Amino acid sequence: MGIMRIGHISVKVMDMAAAVKHYEGVLGLNKVMEDKNGNVYLKCWDEWDKFSVILTPSDRAGMNHVAYKVEKDAELDEFKKKIEAAGVKTTMLPEGTLPSTGRMLQFALPSGHDMRLFAMKECVGTDVGSTNPEPWPDSIHGAGAHWLDHCLLMCEFDPAKGVNKVAENTKFFIDVLNFFQTEQATVGPGGAFQLASFLSVSSKPHDIAFVGGATPGLHHLSFFLDSWHDVLKAADVMGKNKVRIDVAPTRHGITRGETIYFFDPSGNRNETFAGLGYQAQRDRPITTWTEDEVARGIFYHTGVLAASFTEVYT
Amino acid sequence: MPINHAAPCSSECKENVSSLFDTRPKVNVHIVQTGESYACSTNESLLQGMLNLGRKCIPAGCVNGGCGVCKVKVVEGTVRSLGPISRAHVAVEEEVAGYTLACRVAPTVEVRLEVASKLEKLLAKGLASQ
Repeated sequence: MGIMRIGHISVKVMDMAAAVKHYEGVLGLNKVMEDKNGNVYLKCWDEWDKFSVILTPSDRAGMNHVAYKVEKDAELDEFKKKIEAAGVKTTMLPEGTLPSTGRMLQFALPSGHDMRLFAMKECVGTDVGSTNPEPWPDSIHGAGAHWLDHCLLMCEFDPAKGVNKVAENTKFFIDVLNFFQTEQATVGPGGAFQLASFLSVSSKPHDIAFVGGATPGLHHLSFFLDSWHDVLKAADVMGKNKVRIDVAPTRHGITRGETIYFFDPSGNRNETFAGLGYQAQRDRPITTWTEDEVARGIFYHTGVLAASFTEVYT
Repeated sequence: MPINHAAPCSSECKENVSSLFDTRPKVNVHIVQTGESYACSTNESLLQGMLNLGRKCIPAGCVNGGCGVCKVKVVEGTVRSLGPISRAHVAVEEEVAGYTLACRVAPTVEVRLEVASKLEKLLAKGLASQ
């Protein structure tokens, strides 16, 4: 019932050939199709729906939209009512707006990001199939990412002006979209301001995250790996391909995830992420990271928050 | 075995050390605001040349033309493009006026740059070097 997971993300790229080479060769996705406008659709080997990443040619980097998948088509009508009752306009985009994808409910988040919900996407199966499957396919390449795991959106945050889109998005996701919060970082007197928020709609520590910044944008899109060793191998693949690494392999205190931050050839930040640090449940107490320890929450080993974390995004 | 009692490394010294290992043709890059300079190969970007030396006079972000933090204005000299730059950060009119992203241009001759990044204030406070 309700939203199940992130379904796909659409990102702008400035050099399509370089972008496809990166998402295929470094992350390990496979191109599944290209439409007549030059948009390229890709999927990870362990995903069963037709695509999870859309690359669109542009003169800039950044996110076009992010879409989450709901279980049943009729739920789109229920969400439409609920979202509009919360004072947010919606548009029902007809089936076929995106290839192999059913109708999509489009709306803008309080932070301004374009979000969509859909119920149907052509199921093509994982690369190991569903009958007596091998644990991984012989066609595995690059980092061999299993699936698009989550995204982190930068949201306008200026408490002096009374602006906190992190908190507004969090409230919208909990009240309207039925997500639950797993972790947060708070700043200011008595932790009055929510600077970062991590929300789940599954049993993963997060399915989406919001962090405060000067302007809205895309902080990163993250792909799941199995283990710490796979994170190391992913870093080796990045070395081979001269990928710009932002933060070398380390652990997040938040979510306990093992991570690398790096950039695609247009400067969109990617993450390869391993370790489902704990089972997220609706009744699990929310973890709070305080202002003095937030850097350790982000980068647990060094406890040093690289300036790039909050300043560099697309 | 001789022990090197050299004075603490100045920026000029770093350039010399680096040139022992890297013999590619280089030109000087000067930063107007801070008076710093470094030697950059003519076949790599202004930013990559700086990063190779471990220097921090221009803020570095994605190094792929997307995030805009390495925005500079070329006030003297010429550069050549190595790839697309985000129009969200450098409009066409700005590019005509000399603005670009340091990660996507290589110097063809000695250049003087003004750092034009939104991180310029951070740079002044030394935070960009974290």
